[in-house]
Amino acid sequence: MSLNELSEKVDITLSNLSILKTGKAKAVRFSTLEAICKALDCQPGDILEYRP
Amino acid sequence: MEIKISARQMLKILYVLSWIIFIGVCIEAGSFVFNAFFTLVINPVNASYFNLSGLYAYDPGHFAVMLLLMWIVTVLKACMFYLIVKILEDKKLDLAQPFNKATGRFISGISYLAVGTGLFSCWGIKYAAWLVKQGVQMPDAQQLRLGGADVWLFMGITLLVIAQIFKRGIELQTENELTI
Repeated sequence: MSLNELSEKVDITLSNLSILKTGKAKAVRFSTLEAICKALDCQPGDILEYRP
Repeated sequence: MEIKISARQMLKILYVLSWIIFIGVCIEAGSFVFNAFFTLVINPVNASYFNLSGLYAYDPGHFAVMLLLMWIVTVLKACMFYLIVKILEDKKLDLAQPFNKATGRFISGISYLAVGTGLFSCWGIKYAAWLVKQGVQMPDAQQLRLGGADVWLFMGITLLVIAQIFKRGIELQTENELTI
C-alpha cells in the first residue's frame, strides 16, 4: 500500500504520515492508531516498537 | 446597523499606523542628530529649537548628553515600531497557529526595547531634574520627548511576563503539531 492510499484510508495528511515515517512524531492519538490498525488490519504491537 | 471588524482588518489598520509612526519617529531621531550637530558646530542659537538654550548656555557638554538621552529614547521607539512593521510585513503573525518562534522573538524584543525606553526616559527625567536643581531652565518631560517612563517600564515588564507564557505556548503548539 502506498502512502497516498494509506492517507486516504486513514484520513491523515501526507505530511503527518511523513512525520510518522521519519520518526519525528512526538505522540500519536489513540484514534489515529486505531484508524491505522484498521486500515492495515494489524495490532498496535505490530507497528509499534520500544527501543531503549 | 452593526459594523464588525475582523482581525485581518484590524491588522491592516495597525500595519498602516505602525508605518506612519515608524516614519515619524525616524524623522524625529534624525532631527535630534541634525539639530545637535548644527547647534554644537555651526550656530548655537539653534538650541532654542528644543527650548534648551538655557542648558547650552550653562554647559554645551550637558546639552550634548541631554540630546543623546533624548536621541536614544527615540531610536529605541523607532526600533520597536520597526519590529512591529517587520512582523506585519512578513506576515508571520499566523492567527491559525500563533505560537511560533517568530512571534515569541517579536514579543521578547518589544519587551526589552520597552524596558530600555522606560529606563532611559527615567534617567533623562532625573538628569533634567538635577540640572534644574543647578539653576538651569529646562523644559518639561513632554517637550524633552521623555514622558511616560513609568508607562514604558510597566509595558516592558508586562510583555516580559507574557513572553515567558508565550514560550510555554510555543512548546505546547510544537508538541501538538507533532502529534498525529
